[in-house]
Amino acid sequence: MIAMESEFGIPTVAVHVQVFGALVESVARARGMPRARQAFVPVPMFNQPPAVLRGYVEGDDPVHGGPFMERVFDLLTRPLSDEDLRGSGWDRSTPRLLEPDTEENLHELFRENHWTDYLPIVLPTEERVEAMLAGTSHAPDEIVGKTRPTIGMEFWTYDVEKVAVNAVMAGAAPEHFPVLLALASSGDTGRQSSMSSMGNMIVVNGPIRNEIGMNFGIGAMGPYNYANSAIGRAFGLQSQNLQGGSVPGLTYNGSQGNNFSYNCVTYAENEEASPWVPYHVQYGFEPSESAVTVFYVWGNVWAEHLREHWEEKLKAMLVGLEPSMGCTFVLDPIVAREFVQKGFDTKEKLAEWVHENARIPAGRYWDHIMLNMIREVVEAGIEPFASYRKAPPDELIPIFETNRINVIVAGGQTNGHFSIFMGSPMRAKFRSMPGPTVSVDAWR
Amino acid sequence: MATAVGQKLTVLNPEGYPPKVDATGMAPALETLQGKRLFLVDVGFENSNNFMAQLQGWFAEHEPGIRTEVVRMRDQHQPDPELYGRIAAEGDAAIIGVGT
Repeated sequence: MIAMESEFGIPTVAVHVQVFGALVESVARARGMPRARQAFVPVPMFNQPPAVLRGYVEGDDPVHGGPFMERVFDLLTRPLSDEDLRGSGWDRSTPRLLEPDTEENLHELFRENHWTDYLPIVLPTEERVEAMLAGTSHAPDEIVGKTRPTIGMEFWTYDVEKVAVNAVMAGAAPEHFPVLLALASSGDTGRQSSMSSMGNMIVVNGPIRNEIGMNFGIGAMGPYNYANSAIGRAFGLQSQNLQGGSVPGLTYNGSQGNNFSYNCVTYAENEEASPWVPYHVQYGFEPSESAVTVFYVWGNVWAEHLREHWEEKLKAMLVGLEPSMGCTFVLDPIVAREFVQKGFDTKEKLAEWVHENARIPAGRYWDHIMLNMIREVVEAGIEPFASYRKAPPDELIPIFETNRINVIVAGGQTNGHFSIFMGSPMRAKFRSMPGPTVSVDAWR
Repeated sequence: MATAVGQKLTVLNPEGYPPKVDATGMAPALETLQGKRLFLVDVGFENSNNFMAQLQGWFAEHEPGIRTEVVRMRDQHQPDPELYGRIAAEGDAAIIGVGT
């Protein structure tokens, strides 16, 4: 609505649900229009019948008080001040160094400013940051990328030194730094503000895994390895601080939050024990190259071995997931070999099996927020979604397309266990930077 | 790095670089909405279309002198300058939502 007002000269009232009062005010200030015309209605909006929605129209604005429609009329007809007509620009550049203070006070300052995950951090002194910078050949002032909490919010940029500051805070070591720079270059965020509370999963491939001692064996996804732990935490901290925050109600709006966000489920693929090509090789890298991939995941389901009824069980695990969001299999090498024994000699064949066999009725497929996510694709007639949209409600259609089905091998072969995560790398339409699999070697 | 009690440290700011905020002017208000054409813009989030339908119903019932038209953005995640241009050419004001 900012563009409608400023570029097209249309007086416009933007209507939001009440929980976004602080967020909307913050965004308007950041766009140089602090008193943009805003009105609010109650939550929830989703799944409410017409009578409830009519009640919202005829009721009060829960943020400002008073009848909603009176506010709409007032916003469109009340004369504006010269300042409103002009807008308000302001300088919010931040100093490189903070005011000197005691260790105790600085820890308190970092917590108050929402710069931590509320666990103790390592204070980023100049000496420590300089030591971290030794982990790359890149100059401290080289711009690495840009990111933001979610679509519609502004991009913040960052250089190599800013990434190093956050790496120090997380307790990372200089040898981890190329992986963190690669993650920063991806434009992905470990603090996505989606109301759905998506978390992340980070998978590292290539020689860097062994060089920095990452765990891809027993307990790969657990708290049992310095590199896994530090890289995952650092990605979260660098995301929230480099993107302009991750503060509930302001720059974070996940309704329930996600415990994955503490460590971003960071591990390496067990390439040595995998019967298939590594994940990064599927996306154009050589096995001798190192790369890292960011997935956006909501949760996972667990199972063990491919027993007699494995097909029925696998389908049952998949069809309860939300359509189109994608899925990521994380298989212990024992299970990966069981799939090979059943004829899946490539990861792609497993993805194709999922696509063909995990199906749900079209009516349920479209009874989901995803219609909003891909509506323009449907309306443009792009397949297969256009055909899915035309399908009768009881026709069974694939829950996932093959390009949203991922397979990773990780685990220490203590038994044949595996997890299926709901989620995949970020869709191309939402990406601001190249990816989702990015080179680590480029940041050495 | 152990520090003595009360010793002051200098540390770096962990925040990224925010974009410069340029002043953005609002469109002048209308003297009245009577006789004007108001576009009700459905951004495409779930149930926004039904909310706009109820809003249009309210105008028809309470303010018949204000003409309304419900339109929808092509993609809820992207600006729609073509639609904005049409509203500027054919309308006087807009209500857009619902932001969720």
